[in-house]
Amino acid sequence: MHYQTESWGSYMATRSSYGDPLELIERMASEHAMVIFSISSCCMSHAIKRLFCGMGVNPTVNELDEDPRGGKDLERALMRLMGTSDAVPVVFIGGKLVGTMDRVLVSLINGTLVPLLKEAGGSLALIERATTPTNSFHQQKRNDHDHL
Amino acid sequence: MAFISATCPDSSFFLEYKDENGLLRKSCMAASHRVVGDTGLSDSGPSSSTHHVPYATVLHGINAPSTSFLHQEGSTFDFGELEEAITRQVRNDEAQAPLFTGRPAATLEMFPSWPMRYHQTPRVGSSKSAGGESTDSGSQMNTTTLASKGDQTQLEPESPMSKIASSSNHHHQQHQALDQNHLQFQQQNQQLQKDMPISDTSRATTVATGATEASKGQSAPKSNHEKRKGAGSTSENKQLDAKTLRRLAQNREAARKSRLRKKAYVQQLESSRIKLTQLEQDLQRARAQGLLMGGCGGGFGNISSAAAIFDMEYARWLEDDHRHMSELRTGLQAHLSDNDLRIVVDGYISHYDEIFQLKGVAAKSDVFHLITGMWASQAERCFLWMGGFRPSDLIKMLTQQLDPITEQQVMGICSLQHSSQQAEEALTQGLDQLHQSLIDTIAGGPVVDGMQQMAVALGKLSNLEGFVRQADNLRQQTLHQLRRILTVRQAARCFLVIGEYYGRLRALSSLWASRPRESMMSDDNSCQTTTDLQMVQPSQNHFPSF
Repeated sequence: MHYQTESWGSYMATRSSYGDPLELIERMASEHAMVIFSISSCCMSHAIKRLFCGMGVNPTVNELDEDPRGGKDLERALMRLMGTSDAVPVVFIGGKLVGTMDRVLVSLINGTLVPLLKEAGGSLALIERATTPTNSFHQQKRNDHDHL
Repeated sequence: MAFISATCPDSSFFLEYKDENGLLRKSCMAASHRVVGDTGLSDSGPSSSTHHVPYATVLHGINAPSTSFLHQEGSTFDFGELEEAITRQVRNDEAQAPLFTGRPAATLEMFPSWPMRYHQTPRVGSSKSAGGESTDSGSQMNTTTLASKGDQTQLEPESPMSKIASSSNHHHQQHQALDQNHLQFQQQNQQLQKDMPISDTSRATTVATGATEASKGQSAPKSNHEKRKGAGSTSENKQLDAKTLRRLAQNREAARKSRLRKKAYVQQLESSRIKLTQLEQDLQRARAQGLLMGGCGGGFGNISSAAAIFDMEYARWLEDDHRHMSELRTGLQAHLSDNDLRIVVDGYISHYDEIFQLKGVAAKSDVFHLITGMWASQAERCFLWMGGFRPSDLIKMLTQQLDPITEQQVMGICSLQHSSQQAEEALTQGLDQLHQSLIDTIAGGPVVDGMQQMAVALGKLSNLEGFVRQADNLRQQTLHQLRRILTVRQAARCFLVIGEYYGRLRALSSLWASRPRESMMSDDNSCQTTTDLQMVQPSQNHFPSF
């Protein structure tokens, strides 16, 4: 059973180097502003992708089950890294490990996620949508956020 | 007393003796009462009988001079014993009032040189204590003397009678002190009576029996008599002021300590009573849960033990919630310092952390119980989102209640609401994804592989726990962020509002559950409504703010 995915941005093309999965993970994280390791059939991964999409962020997604190099190794490496039985979803922002949905929500609510994104991302569009509140209460203040 | 001589005229004898003061006395004996050899005291012949004097007859002789005794050359007669017996008799007479008063006057006139002073109640009563004799007669004596107060005279410490009675001045002083103690104890009793009505019965009994125990200061209060004795103090009281004061202080101290002990005991009883009622409530709840489990066993499927446990824990959490709310309310009204209020507010946050933790544990065993919301009231269930409240709804509700609020705080709350909305959307979409996936799995394709299908479905169901966990995580983070944005006072008000809001939802559920049914209403609809509303029994949890 397979569900249709939207294109989430640049899909990881096959790389020549197969080395240590953990190294691969670290390399991927450092090369992109934001990386999400996911499994296409995982609902929580879907949720996390929808979250960033809703924020207007365009992350790099690595679907492990669609990785020709052998997602299982990566999966196992991620499990060891996170210390849980759930390998995905795992989020890296600006080369740094943010964590799984749990940590992402924590940092989202306590207000540290957006600055992290700002720091890592360069695209204005990326950040603007993420930070503009849609509450009517705040209508007049919308313009103030342009400088962010 | 020394026997001097006895002469024997023909038919009559008289006894000469020297009393204690050395005065020569004579006692005339009638011949007809010659009892030499007839008393049966001596076994020997007539000759020896003369040497032995029957004590009984001697004594009788003294009372009514009718005995005879002979005195030969030497004083073989042992009057030491006689002396002892006489003095003992006197003491006994002194002590045992009824006997004393009942005796013929002759007894009293044993020592006619000293005028007989009838010593009043206290001394004699106290002398009993000195001698350790019966108390009943003492009290009897007291009453008799109380009755005949007419001849109450001053105490006579120097009287020889008192000397004999108390055998020493020291005794007298002791009696005086004991009198004072009677008075003090009387006063103490009255004080105790004021403080603790419970002691009335004990006091009444002590007064009623008039028991005069010889213990220090514990003698029965002799009411007015004692008071007068103490109040109308004579010269002796001034001598004993220091001792009196000390004893007064000691008694006060003892009374105070006993009051404190009693207070502590009562408090202990109260707290035990409260514990007992709480235990009873817990037991009732447990029984109800047990009944529920049994009742639902047949029709609705068993409530899992995890669900039952969670329901019980939630009920307890609601009670704690009620208590926390009271603390917040009183804290705000009492205008506690920020530090003190912070402790209360942080306590409330921990209280919420607790329920999230409990839900996490329950989600591992029975996620459906949480998702269906059977643990919550109906109205809450109506607004249920992923096993709990929707954070953005809560913030929307709060924004109207939080005044005054700074610009920065407005921004913070706004941002919080926005973020929680985004998170809610994402999680909802993820759950929708799961639903769809499950439907596809269970519906299956044309070729159904039963066990495989079920296994896949089970695997997908296990993701539910993750979503409920993340939803609770979002709820928890929202509350924590509120705490960060607001001041201590604002946070206290905010949490009070939240608590009251859910309390009202629960109350609404109660009312809804007991609302009048359309089919049962009479012609007068409004009447029926009010009657039914009056029948509603609000439980403690449902009407916290009313």
